[in-house]
Amino acid sequence: MQRDVSSYAIAPSVKVKLLNAGFLSAADLCDLRPLQLSKEACISQEEAVEVLQAVRCEPGQERAAAAGRLTALELLGREQELGAIVTFCSALDMALGGGMPVGKTTEVCGAPGVGKTQLCIQLSVDVQIPVCFGGLGGKCLYIDTEGSFLVQRAVDLAQAAVEHCGLLAEDSEQQEALKGFTVETILSNLFLVRCHDYVELLAETYLLADFLAQHPGVRLVVIDSIAFPFRHDFDDLSQRTRLLNGLAQRLIQMATNHNVAVVLTNQMTTKVWNGQSKLVPALGESWGHAATQRLILHWEGTHRLASLYKSPSQREATVPYQITGQGFRDAPPSDQPKASDDPSVRESGSLSKRPRMEDDQSTRK
Amino acid sequence: MICMGNMDWEQLELNPRIIAAVKKANVKSAREILSLSGPDLQRLTHLSKSDVQHLHAAVAVSYRRHSPVTALQVHRGECPSLEPGHKLSLACPVLDALLRGGVPLSGITELAGESSAGKTQFGLQLCLSVQYPLAYGGLNSGAVYICTEDSFPIKRLRQLITQQARLRPELPQALIRSIRFSDNIYIEHAADLGALQACVSQRVPILLSRGLVRLVVVDSVAALFRSEFQADEGIERARHMLAFAATLHHLSHNYSTPVLCINQVTDVMDGPDPAHCNFGLVDNKVLPALGMAWANQVMVRLMLRRLPGCVGTGEQGGTSAPRRLEVVFAPHLPRASCLCGVWEEGVRGLPNRPRSVTNSVTKRLETTGELGLNDGT
Repeated sequence: MQRDVSSYAIAPSVKVKLLNAGFLSAADLCDLRPLQLSKEACISQEEAVEVLQAVRCEPGQERAAAAGRLTALELLGREQELGAIVTFCSALDMALGGGMPVGKTTEVCGAPGVGKTQLCIQLSVDVQIPVCFGGLGGKCLYIDTEGSFLVQRAVDLAQAAVEHCGLLAEDSEQQEALKGFTVETILSNLFLVRCHDYVELLAETYLLADFLAQHPGVRLVVIDSIAFPFRHDFDDLSQRTRLLNGLAQRLIQMATNHNVAVVLTNQMTTKVWNGQSKLVPALGESWGHAATQRLILHWEGTHRLASLYKSPSQREATVPYQITGQGFRDAPPSDQPKASDDPSVRESGSLSKRPRMEDDQSTRK
Repeated sequence: MICMGNMDWEQLELNPRIIAAVKKANVKSAREILSLSGPDLQRLTHLSKSDVQHLHAAVAVSYRRHSPVTALQVHRGECPSLEPGHKLSLACPVLDALLRGGVPLSGITELAGESSAGKTQFGLQLCLSVQYPLAYGGLNSGAVYICTEDSFPIKRLRQLITQQARLRPELPQALIRSIRFSDNIYIEHAADLGALQACVSQRVPILLSRGLVRLVVVDSVAALFRSEFQADEGIERARHMLAFAATLHHLSHNYSTPVLCINQVTDVMDGPDPAHCNFGLVDNKVLPALGMAWANQVMVRLMLRRLPGCVGTGEQGGTSAPRRLEVVFAPHLPRASCLCGVWEEGVRGLPNRPRSVTNSVTKRLETTGELGLNDGT
């Protein structure tokens, strides 16, 4: 109870009055009644109640904080318990250490059309795979700022995921789980918000905590994309940096407090450096620190590659992938049964799709 | 919903003490509150941390347009403002099949191609098909056509109008005769960037809000951005481009109106360029103009290429140079393409596998088509 009064979440004006009246630490306050305090510190009774509440709830919090102190082993166990969301591209899952980690933020960068939105929609379906199939059985909140979430595509991917699980189902538990894993339930567990400018996006992030508290099943929050609303309307770039930093902070808080995976997408921009130009993720240098992991999707000839660029736990890696009618998949469709039987896909599409026609070996890097 | 102007703080579900503090701090708008970080707001209003959290949440609730909806609701068409269930038809079943129904009603659709590839023909055809009722793939409204390059091809439009019955024989002829097509197409000429920005931010919104048009065609975006800036003014050019694209996005989403931007192409330099993204199109000698800054703004990117040779339609006679329409990227479409041609009555796609095997013209077309892919003129 030696904590300074000034360190509590109390209005600054009240703090000054408390300090002036000689209340320096929590111990000075906790035995008082509100009326006494309001008289002695010359603050309103209402304020006095708030101060006492703030101080008295502290012991409980302290205990909680003590419980929150974990050994590295416990932390490891907890992290493994949280699991990861599979991407349906086993090479990428391997590179990520099992999939998109829950409880962390991941940024996906790439040129338009390379597959950022496809990966996001794939994850929003995959997060719902029932636990007995090795999934998380979670829900998803999808914040769309570009207007590029088309529900038609989500239906495609959901359909493919349901069929995939149908092929895998063996025991009765899985058969049972499959009844609750339909396109309809997948869509009904996918919450969608559309933001038209950066202020609406900021508003959404302030409401995220409430939403996640109301929907404890949510394991994934997608923001596609973070760059789009923040790349115009800003004359003052320091203001933008400030807002983005605040946003990143809140998202990291959400990821850890509510055990959700946060996936952000970012655009690429041309940077001229030493007379040479190259493609780099947008939003500037400082934004590079925002997310825990950074994944860059890019083209190499006709092949799509995913590079894990920044990760605290995984080694850097570059893996090939492809986008098929069913979604985000492994690049060479050589001996994978699910890729070959190719059910409900539109004929027109699969005929001329490039990745399908590739030589299997050439895509391996 | 509170948008720009001053905020009526009393409407918020907040402790009067917090509202009084906000008023005293002279904060005017919801935007201002949301753009201020927690600690900044604490300093400004002298409120406690938890008060500021309440304030942020309450303002955020009042500011947002929709609370989250499920994808199922969107899929069932219960949220037309988020995603309209239908698309704008291209007036040809083959082309519509390539685009899974047509041009999406929200977002920018780009059509890039060399000169004489037939881009303008697509623009004109959409201006007519938008005028049909919803049941026939239209939006029951007019179109605004913004020209930045040449003058509007009015003669060709007249010809297309007279040929509508031939292009769409499946429609009731009385319906086609009843629509006064040319009355519903508003033509704007923009000779410089200022005029273009004024057009899309002032005149087009008026047409849209009165329900006179439900389609915006810009022919072309490249012309002005390419001509008005020097090579070293890339940043300035990108800034103007983003502002222009933002206006188009805003219009498209607010009025569920498709926006078609016709774009020129640029030659691909030899050798690998780390700053260049070829979108996986290694065979192409040309790519859409305006670079990455513009590409980031586009939702559906299509490319049109003219191929050597000629094709006939079989039934009506007349020949056309074959073209290949390719989906470069789109969130809901696979990378796919189809052949099409431009005839007197309009643009038509050619079925991938010709049904009548005896038709020698289509056979010849298939071979020329594949050749064309390789040398890509």
